[in-house]
Amino acid sequence: MCAISKEQVFDAIRNVIDPEVGFNLVEMGLIYDAVIDDECNVKVVMTLSTRGCPLHQMLTQWVKDAVEMRVEGVKDVEVEVVWEPEWNISMADDNVKKALGAL
Amino acid sequence: MIAPFFVLGTLIYFVAALSLLGIDPGLGHFDPYIAGWVHLFLLGFVMMIIFGAMAQLIPVVVEVGHYSVDLYYVIWPLLLSGMLLMVGGFWSAPAILPYGGLLVLVSMLIYLFDTIMTLKKAENITLTVKTAVAANIFLTTGIVVGFTMTLAIGAGVELDISRWLGTHAVLVLGGYVLLTIMGLSLILLPMFGLAHGFDQKPIERSFNIMSVAVVLHLLSTILNISWGAMLAMALIFAAITLYIYQVYLIYGVRARKENDIWARSMFFGYGSLVASVILGFVAAISGSENILLSAAWFFMMGFVGFLITGHLYKIIPFLVWFERYAPLVGKKRVPMLNEMYPARMADWEFGFTAIGVVIAGLGILSGYKDLFKGGSLLIVVGAGYMLASVFWMLRFGKNEGE
Repeated sequence: MCAISKEQVFDAIRNVIDPEVGFNLVEMGLIYDAVIDDECNVKVVMTLSTRGCPLHQMLTQWVKDAVEMRVEGVKDVEVEVVWEPEWNISMADDNVKKALGAL
Repeated sequence: MIAPFFVLGTLIYFVAALSLLGIDPGLGHFDPYIAGWVHLFLLGFVMMIIFGAMAQLIPVVVEVGHYSVDLYYVIWPLLLSGMLLMVGGFWSAPAILPYGGLLVLVSMLIYLFDTIMTLKKAENITLTVKTAVAANIFLTTGIVVGFTMTLAIGAGVELDISRWLGTHAVLVLGGYVLLTIMGLSLILLPMFGLAHGFDQKPIERSFNIMSVAVVLHLLSTILNISWGAMLAMALIFAAITLYIYQVYLIYGVRARKENDIWARSMFFGYGSLVASVILGFVAAISGSENILLSAAWFFMMGFVGFLITGHLYKIIPFLVWFERYAPLVGKKRVPMLNEMYPARMADWEFGFTAIGVVIAGLGILSGYKDLFKGGSLLIVVGAGYMLASVFWMLRFGKNEGE
């Protein structure tokens, strides 16, 4: 049984900032799920704010690095980018919506 | 690799602004000085920046790497030298025009070769990819027509310039510049505005209508059918109107509502496009040269100019960030992209240029030369701020990377 929680994984990813908007990926609502198996392998399911994002590969690498470096006891980390459901601003935290003028 | 495109493009933008002071808008669109200025602006600024942006954006848009990105190292010297010879040819020595035209043609064929080979690798054939294919075919045709025209002016080859000028402009401006902007804006406007869930039918129809219009205009010129060219122009108006409607739809669902320099530049650019369409429509009915020139002015300096300068404040910081700060992520605090452009200088650039474009445009429309000169002077100041801003952005964090 693995002792790592989803919250620990999400907290680690809070350190990854999208340089275009200046918010972390969790508060942007881009991280959909974190699946942790009994062996402490972690699979992060995330999306991006746009399909043609030029930072696509870097963002997924930063997420992987953040979980590997900041979550103690983690083994393999996999990051899957999905496009369903499509991201929209309603998925972001209120502070993001407010800062972008969407609230 | 991409920096020379942006530095040269902005430098030439400044030179083009300065050269406005020598233009008499009353001369009409066949005047060699105006033709030279148009080529300085379009080849030296617009094409130079589009090519530089494409080096970065094609892989983003088509989701595959360049066939050979190294080809971009030879594109800009050829384009620059060809453009200089062409402008020199228009302004003082028509005999050198074909040489300039040939260099421009070669630079564009190299660009097209890389683009087509890259597009062949694309698996996800989106509307933007289709737009890029069509735009590049039109560019090739337009440049071949243009090169033939330089042979007519500089080497005495028999060709009715007045008959082919319209098709050359439609192929390059409508078929390439406008279609490329349409395709890229479908990616960039939602990306920077965080817009989702909008209907894409207007731009699909706009793209189809514009493509048909450009082909129809070309055929009408070849077959000498005047009503065909008029019908093509009407279709171009319809395509642009649909495109403006598409931009309005994207604007309506954007989540990011802050009015930064990019957003303001887009507002002014699309506002100018609306003004250009209205003036173009009136010019088509009235046949007025002043109105026609002012429509072209708002299209080039207002729409194309502001769409390019607005995006430079997004693209250059991103490229600098990618090179100097991406490797430092997670190791130290890295700047956000909106900290990497000079906000105050950008505000001055926008203010001077926008007011200058409107005043100079009114000068062309009214035929009042001093009004045009006054507006042009403001544009020169704005272009100076743009140049300083580009160097400021390119130098950002340079010492940290050393």
